[in-house]
Amino acid sequence: MMSTLDTHGGTNGSARTASPAVILGRLIGTELRLVLREPLVLAFVFAFPVVTVLVIAGSFAAEDAPDFFGVEPAQWYVASYLAVVIAAIGLVMVPVHVASYRERGVLRRFAAAGFPRWSFAVASIIVGVVLTVVASAVMLAVAAPLYGLPPVERPLWTVAGGLAGAVAFTSIGLLIGSLVPTARAAQAVGLLAFFPSFLLGGGGPPPDVMGDGLRRMADFLPLTHVTEAVRDPWLGLGTGAADLAVVLAVLVVSALGWWRAVRL
Amino acid sequence: MNTVVEVRGLRKQYGHRTVVDGVDLDVAEGEIVGLLGANGAGKTTTVEILQGLRRADGGSMRVLGLDPAVDGQRLRTMVGSQQQESALPDRLRVGEAIALFRGPRSAPVDGLLAAFGLAGHRRTAFSALSGGQRQRLFLVLALLNRPHLVVLDELTQGLDPAARRDVWDAIRALRDGGTTVLLVTHYMDEAEALCDRVVVMREGRVVDAGTPTALVDRHAPWATVRFTPPSTSDPVDWRAVPGVHGVERDGDVVLVHGDRTAVAYVCAELVRSGPVPTDLAVLMPDLEAALITLLTPGETR
Repeated sequence: MMSTLDTHGGTNGSARTASPAVILGRLIGTELRLVLREPLVLAFVFAFPVVTVLVIAGSFAAEDAPDFFGVEPAQWYVASYLAVVIAAIGLVMVPVHVASYRERGVLRRFAAAGFPRWSFAVASIIVGVVLTVVASAVMLAVAAPLYGLPPVERPLWTVAGGLAGAVAFTSIGLLIGSLVPTARAAQAVGLLAFFPSFLLGGGGPPPDVMGDGLRRMADFLPLTHVTEAVRDPWLGLGTGAADLAVVLAVLVVSALGWWRAVRL
Repeated sequence: MNTVVEVRGLRKQYGHRTVVDGVDLDVAEGEIVGLLGANGAGKTTTVEILQGLRRADGGSMRVLGLDPAVDGQRLRTMVGSQQQESALPDRLRVGEAIALFRGPRSAPVDGLLAAFGLAGHRRTAFSALSGGQRQRLFLVLALLNRPHLVVLDELTQGLDPAARRDVWDAIRALRDGGTTVLLVTHYMDEAEALCDRVVVMREGRVVDAGTPTALVDRHAPWATVRFTPPSTSDPVDWRAVPGVHGVERDGDVVLVHGDRTAVAYVCAELVRSGPVPTDLAVLMPDLEAALITLLTPGETR
């Protein structure tokens, strides 16, 4: 079939693979390309927030709407739904993706090829942030003609909240994907985490119509704090600093978790 | 000749189960060394430790002059690895996989893809490749960056015979190019066809090592001479021939079993007794027969 192959590297101790920065760049590019080839994942990440924000914002935009802290209900939801995009990526897309890679030995192949241990996780976080930005833009572009976009009162705090939330939830997704045994289990755990977070943490009924028990429960959900860290500075209800601190704490804990759990 | 892999007393436990138990292993530059044994013998764990993918519980090792436990990351950039039960993302195309794994001093990609029959598949998704094409792609990726050492774990598992032969040709071409290969397999014919030396493992231990021929000589030192005696030849008491251990008859066909020296004596006796048979065949044991003896407790011939 073949004669001598031109593949012999000798035995001197120099590395043969690309530099860590190049590997990271290639992983980001590859992962983004692969996401674009997953129509079901894209549909969930892009369409679910759009459809639900239209339904929920439309439902609570009536004259006799509950109290939204003096804010126009539709604009309240538009500002809240960035967190739904973040949750969809972090709790549904990332865990299944990571668990599937682990299950099929893809991460092991990356490790055996000399990819740094952190490279896949960092690439996933960057891809998560990029998707958050794009999916949020799509959601806002659909919502804007119908409900208008509320002015961003405190842009730096709003961006910080969104960015910290996207990184924290991608980290949570990495952690779930690193701990569960299979991709199917990751899907189950991810959806189990997503829907209560979505309903209680910002995408569901307004706090005014929730009972005390549900509101207390919502306070324990990381997504509630992401929602408030984005929405409060956006709508001028506050800086969202306390919520941002909680989100950053979640980010650190989940990042430490996957750093221990992710085995390339 | 430089030593590429040097392992002494390697140990690994999972809980209370010892899976690698005092393994010694040497691989010299340019050798193809086979790690053989039944499933669960500890072969894959051993090579994963050597690549720094798992931590050993004891023993010492140097691979390309590095300690995998300390310099695993650097070591893995120098080793080409094909792993058992690992895959690529389904929607990743062949050309994209090459671009992802390619280093700055990679082998010529076009030549490598052509050599492994993948030249026309750059845009084919991993999920659309056949089992044989996937294995050949893994081989391409293992060789892509001109590795100092190539570790191939069950490379031909699941391949049809023609695809296996193609992969064997590729590995022979590697040897001709001077690449050092550590080959994990439980296919004895593969080891016999490819390996300069084999190391046989059972229950985490090395039970023997040497060239395939030496192992056959040590553990299957017998031969069988098969023939149909012509009707005009003199009757012979084959059991009395030196080196013969037993005789079987299958219709007119006679099977004379004995040690290797018996072959010459039996043939001499055939010449002496009259017209020589026209269907004479000498059946020599292969590596598989030797390893069945070695790995199966109480198995003798």
